[in-house]
Amino acid sequence: MSITNLLNNWSFYRNKRPYRGQYDLNKEYSEYKWAMALDLDICTGCNACTTACYAENNLPVVGKKRFHHGQVMHWIRIERYWDEKMVDFPEQGASFLPMMCQQCEAAPCETVCPVGATSHTNDGLNSQNYHRCIGSRYCSANCPYKVRYFNFWNYPSTAWPAPLPDQLNPDVTVRTKGIMEKCTFCVQRLNEAKSRARTEYRLVRDGEVVPACVQACPTSAITFGNIVDPNSKVAKMWKNQQVDLYKDLQEKDNTVRGYRILEDLRPFPSVMYMERIRDTEA
Amino acid sequence: MSESGINRRDFLKVLGLGGSSLALTGCGNTDIRSGDELIMPNVSPEDFVVPGLSVFYASTCTQCGSACGVMGRVREGRVLKMEGNPQSKISGGKICGLGQAAVQVQYNPDRLTQPMMKVGNGLQPVSWDKAMATLNEKVGPKSGIKGENFAFMTGAMSGHLKVLVQNYLDSLDSKNHFAYEALSPSIGFAANKQVYGVDMPRLHFDKAKLIVSFGSDFLGTGASPVHFAAEYAKFRKAPRGTLVQIEPKMTMTGANADRWIAIIPGTEGIFALGVANQLLKHSEFTNTVPAGIASLVSKYDPETVSQITGVRPELVGHVASLLWEKTPSIVISGASAEGHAHGVQNAVAIQLLNKILGNVGKTIDGQAKSPFPQIAPEAGSFSSLKAMNDAMGGGKLQAVFIHGANPVFTAPSFMGFRDNLRKVPFKVAFVNAADETAQECDLVLPILTAVEEFGSNIAWYQPEGVEITMQQPLMNKLYPDTRSMGDIMLDLVKQRRADEYKNWPDFFSYLKAAVINMKPAVKYTDTDEHFWYDTLSSGVIHIDAPQEQIGDSFAEAALSLPEVQNVQDPKFPFYLVPSERHYFRDGRHANCGWLQESPDPLTTIVWDSWVEIHPKTAASMGIKEGDYLEIASQNGTLKVKAYLFPGIHPDAVSIPLGQGHESLGRFANGVGVNPFTILNPVFEKDTGELAMFGTRVSVKKTSDSEIVVKDEGPVSTQMGRKLVVTLPADVAQLSKEI
Amino acid sequence: MIHRLLAVLSFVFLCVGTASAEPLKWGGPIGSQTSDGYNALGPVVKQPIEFPHYRHARDMGISCLYCHTGARRGYVSVIPRIDKCIGCHQNIESVRNKPRIKKLFEYWEKKEPIPWKKVNDLPDYVRFNHERHVQRFYFRQNRPIREVCGYCHGDVANMTVDRRVKSLSMGWCISCHQKDHRENDVSMKTSHGPYECWQCHK
Repeated sequence: MSITNLLNNWSFYRNKRPYRGQYDLNKEYSEYKWAMALDLDICTGCNACTTACYAENNLPVVGKKRFHHGQVMHWIRIERYWDEKMVDFPEQGASFLPMMCQQCEAAPCETVCPVGATSHTNDGLNSQNYHRCIGSRYCSANCPYKVRYFNFWNYPSTAWPAPLPDQLNPDVTVRTKGIMEKCTFCVQRLNEAKSRARTEYRLVRDGEVVPACVQACPTSAITFGNIVDPNSKVAKMWKNQQVDLYKDLQEKDNTVRGYRILEDLRPFPSVMYMERIRDTEA
Repeated sequence: MSESGINRRDFLKVLGLGGSSLALTGCGNTDIRSGDELIMPNVSPEDFVVPGLSVFYASTCTQCGSACGVMGRVREGRVLKMEGNPQSKISGGKICGLGQAAVQVQYNPDRLTQPMMKVGNGLQPVSWDKAMATLNEKVGPKSGIKGENFAFMTGAMSGHLKVLVQNYLDSLDSKNHFAYEALSPSIGFAANKQVYGVDMPRLHFDKAKLIVSFGSDFLGTGASPVHFAAEYAKFRKAPRGTLVQIEPKMTMTGANADRWIAIIPGTEGIFALGVANQLLKHSEFTNTVPAGIASLVSKYDPETVSQITGVRPELVGHVASLLWEKTPSIVISGASAEGHAHGVQNAVAIQLLNKILGNVGKTIDGQAKSPFPQIAPEAGSFSSLKAMNDAMGGGKLQAVFIHGANPVFTAPSFMGFRDNLRKVPFKVAFVNAADETAQECDLVLPILTAVEEFGSNIAWYQPEGVEITMQQPLMNKLYPDTRSMGDIMLDLVKQRRADEYKNWPDFFSYLKAAVINMKPAVKYTDTDEHFWYDTLSSGVIHIDAPQEQIGDSFAEAALSLPEVQNVQDPKFPFYLVPSERHYFRDGRHANCGWLQESPDPLTTIVWDSWVEIHPKTAASMGIKEGDYLEIASQNGTLKVKAYLFPGIHPDAVSIPLGQGHESLGRFANGVGVNPFTILNPVFEKDTGELAMFGTRVSVKKTSDSEIVVKDEGPVSTQMGRKLVVTLPADVAQLSKEI
Repeated sequence: MIHRLLAVLSFVFLCVGTASAEPLKWGGPIGSQTSDGYNALGPVVKQPIEFPHYRHARDMGISCLYCHTGARRGYVSVIPRIDKCIGCHQNIESVRNKPRIKKLFEYWEKKEPIPWKKVNDLPDYVRFNHERHVQRFYFRQNRPIREVCGYCHGDVANMTVDRRVKSLSMGWCISCHQKDHRENDVSMKTSHGPYECWQCHK
């Protein structure tokens, strides 16, 4: 959104979204809101999702030096934390946190883009238009999750020595120097599924399409689906975990595990995490 | 546009419109244009090609030995991505990162594309005709190669290729099939054989309420990680099971444990006996073991155990009480408990707990027995490397073939394998890339990758029934001068037994005939052709074979752990834990960019080797992260960067395996160090296997230091933010969840 | 280097193409303004075989979808394989000796693909879905197929070799997506096409 647009419509962008009724199964272009539920208790931190993302989304391998400079391009990464109260050994194991774009409803990145390269789609994704992006990197600076990745180098000329380009997914752009990129929830798969569903006069079925990370996950720790459909597994899980898409701070029982990360910043993320459990008596 | 191979807008050829269209230029199309690009529709319909649409073909992942059924996503004749095959009981439709990287093996820029022959000190390209003529001359019927002067080294192997290898050896009257895996499960197998009478029992993690794992990284590097991950997920659902991990260095499985216990390497068996001692005090368990074992166990009171193992004494009773409370449980041993001189004894002592707790039959039972022993898996062992090395050293071997193994890289330097290999007059390697072993060979033959090849596989860990996973080409071969290993083997067999094999012009026809032969066992009633195509399209053959019977006999003599194992060696005060990274294993796939850049789950380090050292130990030696340390054993020294890692015993240091290649390709060469080289000649007493964890090292700080490249930030905790929230298990109400 | 060579080559083709007299009325200069206000006409493209669309689609009344089979079910419309051409033409003796057909059979006998030139070539980062448009306007709204394809491709049925007649630029796409179109042939309910970035930008 441009600055003028942003200032003129400040209230809409900061307060209105998300609003109840924004998504409606019976309204055209409002029938989908893609969301995730990620169970941290069964995520083992194995990185299968990361590698699957590299394969699906043409992510470049940047090499050691650039990795060190913080120029790695993993759209989904596994963060590993040790317990703060650890004495000698991490006796309760490590904490793994798969972190990808949270597809916020009130996305902090969207409001700061000077050229409107990142905006919200009708199905609740935070889209990134590579062709409009001028590389200001404001969005990355404003992203509380640090899941936007900037192409500091012209990776297509270095990252895929022949014949590795043969592996690249033709449904996904190969990005060059100077633009920002991020997790898309595998929008190429979603578009294909939506198109197929439209041809068959129906909505996308639950489980019909999943992003590459969800498909790969050996423990099935990630659930993906259309949260507008109350019968979808992801909608049921959000409800069961007392997490409401439209609320910034959830009021929930302390036995319930669902939460959204950095909720208090009010970005209204679309990814619900479920707390890790540890048997304290073990 | 011109200096780059492709640019941002070369969105890789929407090959689309027709069959395979050819992008005329190296640069992509950014405008609406007419007449600049070609569309070349196929002449006739072709398999694998539906323009603009992905087609999925079932195959088998051969990146590790689990033989997961996979689906390859194919677009316009190129395989783009691997997915799990939901029809496979092993993968259950899931896939790990190592499996994903199969496409990077396929399109690897450093693949060997033509046969090479040793000329002087280097390898020179030759034609296939020349290569096959050389093979015929050197190992053909007139060469005098026969019987004991020939050896065939392979990696772990199963299926019909194994049969061909066996038949070839038979045709030479040779018994020298050396199946070598650097990280083989043989020690565990030997212990299982002693306890249960089978190599590998079936483990039901999903049925257990408590898993006590002594160093078994079943989620990362175990027998079937993708399958075990799915079982683990069930185990963590209501009623949530508890995982206790006891090991010297935290593995990925350990990182997911509810209780992780650091132990001195090699003393796991003693800890298990200490736990057994506590359990046997409960009246319900008193008669579960023979009196001899009971009396052996009784001397391991918590204090003694603590002294030997370095574990706090109260934890012995604690683990025992957990095992007593939570039934059924399952107790398993893994690499770090088994890789010692007394590895089998350690594992047997650990399995004793299952016997006491009555887990056998509940969470541990027999695998299904395959009705086809000929194609049954050969898991590979270290002893076969040793046997071959001895034979080569003794000058017995005139010709060796090497396939699916890289012994020059993985053999410890004390064996002098490279020098012994050089003594063999004729050495042939069948490889995808000219690795360290191939560099030593006289003839290097480029074979097809797993995604270009037909084949059949059987995993040695079968979750349900017997699953034969079928491999079919997901695309045409990328390089015209590469050949199917099966075809080569068939040619070789025909050198001596042309008549017997004359019906099969190629490996495909051989495999097809062999698979159709299995039809009765599968109780398939339709025609042979239907059976073949059903098999290929589903990718798996399921056989409901009866379970193997497993016993749980503990003869008293079987258990004889050495008295005190925690001996200090002033010269080499540290235990070396050569850890197996879940995407690197023995290092054969190190030349995949994705794997190099996939952070190690626990340290988050990429593109490197490192040595893990406990922060306390490091502090006492003045070591900071990034300091180069000299890790020296009796057999060599490695210079590695230090990484301060709390999940390791203070008396141990750990270096990951798989890096340190000299000749594998651009992504692997010169990255990190190879800890295989400094291993000591410590062997497991019962099996003769190399005791991987039996090496002692000294640690010396050098003045060099370099930044450790890792994904982790400067602080390794959440700094009080609620990123990963942990809920105590007694508060969570998993049963109410969806 | 090779790019430059190809650029020169394509320029040569272009000149040759414009110079030769095309038999049809679609011969205006490149970039002629059309009624919708966009630069529309693309260059005349010289194809390896001068395929007479008018003969097939107009004279014989063959549906576009008969040969371009992908258009109703996938992203790409698909240029037919040679065996499809041969499937009919081996039974049409009357035209067997015509130069174009002879050329076709030459390719067939050599089992060589015909190197057609791409006429309607969108940038590679565009995700254009033929299926959606054909399903919406042909199957659902029940408009004639020549009209439906013609929205973007013009009156191909009156051309010999296809020539781009619409601008195919983003603004041109959007101008149609913003319009309300009837949902099907019976209802009067209307809706517009989607016009958010990710719908088309890969």
